[in-house]
Amino acid sequence: MPTITFSLKDFCELVGKKLSIEEFKTLLEYAKAELEHAREDEVAVKFNDTNQPYLWCPEGIAWLVKGALGKEKEIPQLKIKKSNNKIIVSKEVTKIRPYISAFTAKGTKLTEYLLKQLIQLQEKLCENYGRKRQKIAVGLYPAQKISFPINYTAIAPNAVHFVPLGENKQMTPSQILENTPKGKEYKWILEKETKYPLLMDSKKEVLSFPPVINSQTAGKLEIGDDFLFFEATGTDQNAVNLSAVIFAQVLQDRGFEISSVNVETPTKKMVSPSTETKKIKITKQQVQQLLGLELKDTEIKQLLEKARYTFTNYVVEVPPYRQDIMHCNDVIEDIAIMYGYNNIEALPITTFTRGETSQINSFISTIRQLLVGQGFQEIFSAILSNKMIMQQKIKSKEEIVEIENYTSQTYSAVRNNILPILLETLSENKHVEYPQKLFEQGIVTKKKADKIIDQEILAIANSHSTANFTELRQTIELMLRLLGTEFKIKETEHTSFISGRAAEIVIAGESVGTFGEIHPEILANFGIEMPVVAAEINVEKLFEKIKNREL
Amino acid sequence: MDLKKIIETLHPLERKVLPALNEKTTVQEIIDATKMQEVEVLRALQWLQNKNIVQLTTETKELVLLDENGKEFLKKGMPEKKLLNTLKEKDVSIEKASSAASISREELNVSLGLLRSKGLAIITKDKEIKIKITDKGKSAVNTQSPEEKFIQKKFPLELNSLNQEEKQVLETLKKRKQIIKTETQKQTTSKLLDLGIQLQKQGGFEKNIIDQITPQILKTAEWKGKNFRRFDITIDTPKIHCGKLQHYRKFLDEIRAKFVSLGFTEMKGPIVETEFWDMDALYMPQFHSARDIHDVYFITEPKLEQVDYKIIKKVKEAHENGANTGSTGWQYKFDTQRTLRTLLRSQGTACSSRMLASPKLKIPGKYFGITRCFRKDVIDATHNCDFYQTEGIIIQEGLTIRHLFGLLRMFAQEFAGTKEIRLVPGYFPFTEPSVELFAKHPDLGWIELGGAGIFRSEVVMPLLGKNVSVLAWGIGIDRIAMFKLGLKDIRALFSHDIEFLRNIKLNFDGLNYDEDNKSSVNSPRQTKVEL
Repeated sequence: MPTITFSLKDFCELVGKKLSIEEFKTLLEYAKAELEHAREDEVAVKFNDTNQPYLWCPEGIAWLVKGALGKEKEIPQLKIKKSNNKIIVSKEVTKIRPYISAFTAKGTKLTEYLLKQLIQLQEKLCENYGRKRQKIAVGLYPAQKISFPINYTAIAPNAVHFVPLGENKQMTPSQILENTPKGKEYKWILEKETKYPLLMDSKKEVLSFPPVINSQTAGKLEIGDDFLFFEATGTDQNAVNLSAVIFAQVLQDRGFEISSVNVETPTKKMVSPSTETKKIKITKQQVQQLLGLELKDTEIKQLLEKARYTFTNYVVEVPPYRQDIMHCNDVIEDIAIMYGYNNIEALPITTFTRGETSQINSFISTIRQLLVGQGFQEIFSAILSNKMIMQQKIKSKEEIVEIENYTSQTYSAVRNNILPILLETLSENKHVEYPQKLFEQGIVTKKKADKIIDQEILAIANSHSTANFTELRQTIELMLRLLGTEFKIKETEHTSFISGRAAEIVIAGESVGTFGEIHPEILANFGIEMPVVAAEINVEKLFEKIKNREL
Repeated sequence: MDLKKIIETLHPLERKVLPALNEKTTVQEIIDATKMQEVEVLRALQWLQNKNIVQLTTETKELVLLDENGKEFLKKGMPEKKLLNTLKEKDVSIEKASSAASISREELNVSLGLLRSKGLAIITKDKEIKIKITDKGKSAVNTQSPEEKFIQKKFPLELNSLNQEEKQVLETLKKRKQIIKTETQKQTTSKLLDLGIQLQKQGGFEKNIIDQITPQILKTAEWKGKNFRRFDITIDTPKIHCGKLQHYRKFLDEIRAKFVSLGFTEMKGPIVETEFWDMDALYMPQFHSARDIHDVYFITEPKLEQVDYKIIKKVKEAHENGANTGSTGWQYKFDTQRTLRTLLRSQGTACSSRMLASPKLKIPGKYFGITRCFRKDVIDATHNCDFYQTEGIIIQEGLTIRHLFGLLRMFAQEFAGTKEIRLVPGYFPFTEPSVELFAKHPDLGWIELGGAGIFRSEVVMPLLGKNVSVLAWGIGIDRIAMFKLGLKDIRALFSHDIEFLRNIKLNFDGLNYDEDNKSSVNSPRQTKVEL
């Protein structure tokens, strides 16, 4: 989620109202944003909505807030002067990165603050909305150095040389991808291409190598520049145009005059940027269905105008800097936001429904109570674990679900058993008074071939200087007796337990669990120096057996 | 202080010891006087000290004791004396000396050396080597040697009480095998304090008094006419602990019960999910940043899991062009292979998407889930990569945002105990409108309780086949648990520290531990994995 910083004083000037930090915080709610921090005049704002990139600059937030405060209404004006400047798009580049949008802006000298703000917007737009420059990449240039028309073309990886921004020697695009930090970062976008996009002016001066880097000579914006060239390239016509519109509107707010650029592709001619608006129809009934409010036509109109839409007879015109409106409910939500969520009277839901939870939950509660009654402390653990504990230390060959992109080895697999977790717990508590009687009931994830199933199981461990088989058998038998089931205790072999001190719990001919004295070798693996007796029970199977028992 | 009352509180052991005390008394003296066990005396003295009746001082002493051989020599005589007595009769050859004097070979060597050095015997070499007694030796037969005198003393002897001469004897004896040993011993001495003196004057210790009531006493009614010892009920007793439900699990049990009582049915879903149910079915575009490998855990094997293609096709269309939902869709090419990719459930809403597509769904219906979710995160006091989410849906024709707000009001009341709420516009890819719920907690001020909204048509129509209002909500249950249990570190929810688990105070409805448990949070588990 993008976070931006800017000056609160500057924002107040944009809005035309002095705001306290508290007022500012509340106004941010319209932008679905929160104040991250405020340091003197600097505020940092975090956005929850990743589909409204126009808000990622103080100017954009101001467009919305001015509407909400009633200072302005409807779609903000964007005046674009016609010009004869031209970009010629070659056929080759339309196969790689087909779309480009551009304009020039002339006006006041760039201040350090404004330059910083433009770079911030460029970064957030390209990284977040532009999917790390794949969908959109934006370039800003000092326009006085450029001679139109500009060629947007594709060239062989080593066909040209130029000095990339921040470097001091000439390189080919291919060398840039291999040897510069930006090149390495964005190489993946051009991975499958045999030709690379390039912007070059009429004097054959390279402007940039989109989406990777600008040229040091023609593509470096500086404080004091008052004539700018903007271009956005990408794979989505609407997104590319959206970037141009947002930047144009921002620069217009900062006192620049915007002039269009004509884009000529092999198939058509367009004026860029396009300020054509999207129109969406809504009905009064739709508003009422979603919001439950009986609003008058004039109220709906007023609220939508506050939200910077233009409303004519239930046709809603969306400002060109917004691309997030997909459905009439997106517009209706804005009616509710401008009405004020906290002004909407709540209604109770009166329909009766019967609440339920799965039967096994009650069974599980009973088991847990029986163990607590015998002095066992319940443990509740993370489900993420690792092969070291689940397989190596416990000497188990049972398959386990592994995480491909884990961050820490500690949490690199999904537990398939609980007993190892209890042993791990015992090993971490050697300084604590004994007896240590523990149990955990919970979900484990079993993997058999390609089948993955979750299972409710129970593990019990009892550790003290004289812990033995008989003691745990008493615990298990007591539990099964009180759950009202017949059972048999059968001798078994198990890697965790000492041979001859391991048993299987059999109900109606089927094993529901095992218990016994943990083998000293396993204890050594966990670094435990105290005898441990332990059990592992398949709670789902036990439940099924008890539920289906013959009475 | 009432002396009589104090006497009534005295334990039988104290009653025996107290009369035997002088102004200063050693433990040994008490044992001698009372014939009690040493441990009993020490326990009684300790209790008396606690009551300010006596003051105990402990000093260490070097004690001299007779060792095994020493004790035997005391009975049977010193070997050198035995040898001398034999020599008095006749000379003995060195081979036969041992058996003639009935002393061991080793003792013979020592004895011979001793007698010779004192000039009591000599060795002569003739045909054979013989031992002869001297005149000095003859006169020594009937006198006691300093060594003999020493072992006849009353042991244990205090090292400090020996004179210079005796100390020298001790040194020579110490060189010989197991005659004498020395030990450091702690000696406790009791000094009778004023209160003790007064109590002795008061007397009445011998009075027949009942300490522990036994079945015998009850059966025979022998308690009649006797007094019960008064207990000092103000003294601290050792702490015990019990088996206990885990604090967080217990909290979740209560949340579950609460939802059921509010008419909700529990939904469940698998831990290992597909991108389809976790995200695609929830109209999260496949390029959404929250689907990144930096945010979600993907499974190594199997990489793909099957999902009914009929449902995938509907969801795909909704993503690509909105299909029949009245939406333009996200306008991109939906990847039908990627949708099958396996991952660890990243949001509880995955259960809601499964529920909407399930034949078990009832309309109207209310559903909830308490589900384990997993997200890549740096683990610290407020973030965990393995956590619980509580979420749910209410499906019913004609529900509006007003009902959603009504529901959130109820949740604020149920979970934070407040009627004061604040609703803030929110954003979730699957709901429109979306809202974030803040509640004013009586003690903690404004807290973020959760998020909610009305499911988008792009979610409902592909899964359900028709458009019905679905209110969806999620509550940050971990955070509420921490507030209620007074924990400052989220890792304490899954703590493996047994000491902490034994001592944590348990929350119950209507009671919050905002501060109490804070101090007892030990550093959470840090498992080191060596591979």
